[in-house]
Amino acid sequence: MTMNRTIETDSQEAFIEEIEKVQDVLPKRIDANPKNVEKGLAKLVLTLVELIRKLLEKQAMRRIEGGSLSDEEIERIGQTLMKLENKMQELKEIFGLKDEELNLNLGPLGDLM
Amino acid sequence: MKIYAYGIIDSHNSLKEPIAGLEGKGIYNVSYRDIGITVSELNEETKEITDTYILEHERIVERLMEDFTVLPMRFLTIFNTKEDILSMAELYYEDFKDNLARLHNKVEFGMKVIWPADTIKQRIIDVYHKTKHNVSISTESPAKTFVKEKFQEHIIEKEFQEEANRCIAVVDDYFNKIACEKKLKRLQTENLLLNASYLVDKQRQNDFKQAFEQLKNTPGDLKFLFSGSWPCYNFVTLTKKVASFDYFNTEDMLNRLLAQQGFAKERNAV
Repeated sequence: MTMNRTIETDSQEAFIEEIEKVQDVLPKRIDANPKNVEKGLAKLVLTLVELIRKLLEKQAMRRIEGGSLSDEEIERIGQTLMKLENKMQELKEIFGLKDEELNLNLGPLGDLM
Repeated sequence: MKIYAYGIIDSHNSLKEPIAGLEGKGIYNVSYRDIGITVSELNEETKEITDTYILEHERIVERLMEDFTVLPMRFLTIFNTKEDILSMAELYYEDFKDNLARLHNKVEFGMKVIWPADTIKQRIIDVYHKTKHNVSISTESPAKTFVKEKFQEHIIEKEFQEEANRCIAVVDDYFNKIACEKKLKRLQTENLLLNASYLVDKQRQNDFKQAFEQLKNTPGDLKFLFSGSWPCYNFVTLTKKVASFDYFNTEDMLNRLLAQQGFAKERNAV
């Protein structure tokens, strides 16, 4: 190497493990073939549904934190969030998708979730 | 015969000394106005891209940096014809000129930080349970119990994120005054607190290294990976984005090229 290079760590294995995790989050290219195109589409759709579900949940938690929800409203929100989560669980099982697969790489912006 | 590109340089002249490129092919400069694109020819048959190629690419970019300001191309930037290269240069010329001026006499350093996420989270949970909260949610129904659990997760996650921000600010403070520019990626995984790139003036490299020495000697449970100096891989910014000519420095381009070339192996980060 021609540059004045330093690479220094006292935890090489830990860093290798974490860097591999970052690289393994998503496939480098879309594997679109007739056998898995259905799963690929389901992954895309469910990712967007999961994003909306998380946003709803976050908004609800913020409102609870702000103290702006009544007891009845908390009950209704609880029921809605429970049903949404259960339905998502069912759909993930049907298409054989894991939680960590429901994400999108937005390039320079990082991952969607 | 394909053409493999290494980087954009601030010279349109031929290289003074011969430099061997990938597969031993000689590197030459494709000039456009007052800049150049350093390339070498690549066998059509090349299908296997190995770690050796990545290291070679890095070595060549560094060799070019001895003589020029270089905007390093991503590993595996391949063109079909010289005309394609010139089209790309014409399209991005203004951007290239701006970047060459901005990155003149600059190098890049990398800084990765791991923190003990599980321990931090457990500490936050313990504090949460000991603290009296303003919000009280009953557990008289499954729905309310569900909300209560979600609310607890929400508060713990919020505190976790705030703790991460505090910690990153402490680390960044060591380098902030020395670096010209920085790119901070936070919490790419729960444990990888920070993955940072800093752009540093060549004259201030030692200051930057000393800052790291100070940081690593501070007591705490953070782990560090410090690396550099590197070519400025993370600081080339293009304002123009045209899909059909997006040859430069993007993941999409790499994936597309990989697919076009039919390379069996995916790109590995340098």
